[in-house]
Amino acid sequence: MALHLNLLHEEFLEQRQRQRDPLKIGMMVLCALGAVMVLYYMWNAYKTLEIRNRQSEAQHQWSKVEPKVTSAQKRSGELNAIISTTKVLDGMIDGRFYWAPFLEKLSRCVALNAQLTGLDGSVVDEKVSVSIEGLAAGREPRAAAEELRQLLIEQLGQSYSAVKVEFKALEDLDTIVNIAGANMAMARFGLNVSFNSAAAKPSPPPARTRAPKQ
Amino acid sequence: MKNFKLTKDQIQKLALSAIGFFVLVYVYFTFFLGPLNRSRDSMLANIADLQTKVASSKNEMMRANNLETQATTATTRFAALKALSPEGAPIAWFPPRMKAFFASQEIDKTSTRLESSAAFKEADLAEWMRYSWLFDLPQTDFATLGKTVAALENTEPLLSISRISIKTLADDPQFQQVSLAASTAIVKR
Repeated sequence: MALHLNLLHEEFLEQRQRQRDPLKIGMMVLCALGAVMVLYYMWNAYKTLEIRNRQSEAQHQWSKVEPKVTSAQKRSGELNAIISTTKVLDGMIDGRFYWAPFLEKLSRCVALNAQLTGLDGSVVDEKVSVSIEGLAAGREPRAAAEELRQLLIEQLGQSYSAVKVEFKALEDLDTIVNIAGANMAMARFGLNVSFNSAAAKPSPPPARTRAPKQ
Repeated sequence: MKNFKLTKDQIQKLALSAIGFFVLVYVYFTFFLGPLNRSRDSMLANIADLQTKVASSKNEMMRANNLETQATTATTRFAALKALSPEGAPIAWFPPRMKAFFASQEIDKTSTRLESSAAFKEADLAEWMRYSWLFDLPQTDFATLGKTVAALENTEPLLSISRISIKTLADDPQFQQVSLAASTAIVKR
């Protein structure tokens, strides 16, 4: 084994102490850490710049779309308002009571020996009430008035529901009229007609029965 | 094992280095990385918000287009109903229009009076008003009246007859005196 003699041990010790200086080591560590931090910060800054570009792109896209969307929303609102208003108006139109068909039916019910002298009708919601006054002539003038009442029930019942035709007044008159060369007695009548303008429900179809075997 | 014995000077230097380290870390996170991260987070949130808005706006526009197609009938009908109300006060144009209408049905000397006007209760009809009118037809026969009422109900869809009164003329029972009460929906001008 070779023998080594260290004749410069003091110089070596000083050199080792210089290398082991805590401040120097600390500064080196701090510098290294600082470098890492700067690199990390720069990496983050680069990412942030990229995100900022994406944001400005999205902003640009939105600024292009926004006016269109606003006008589309406005138009949608207008269209919805138009649709709902038209629906309500259509409901009003469809819910009206049409007097012309009623007058037509009434004219069909009046026979030659009857005459209507007055009519007052009104409609509230779907309920129609009509007051009819008139004269009937015949050998049995009351029967002529009753015939008119029955005809009204039958005719109106075809188109309306809850039809009621009742005599308000029915009285014989002393006046005699000449119809087709024959003298006839007269009666004055008053009728109260009421019905619902909604159409009458159709009667259910008869139950099917098996046909007898032949 | 070697004995590392630090001198007082070295301890001071170590302490100084440690303080420097903490200051560096604090400054780095508080003044550099923190604001950068906050700014990035807010930008990401903003991007997400904008993307949601753009996506929903596309749906919105598509819905508006579909609605436009579906509402063609309604808009046409609405325009037609609106066209029934000309410009100006209804009292100025409605009675002459009715007079002309009855004259075209061979009923003369008619008069049309405004009974009342009121707003509709329905919120959808905020731009419409209900006008109640009284029509006096001094002389007409039943058949003509029937046709006239039918024509009136067909040509004026927004008009609804609420009351009808027919009386025979005492001196000429072939003819009747008629009065009608009707209401119309007219656009507010």
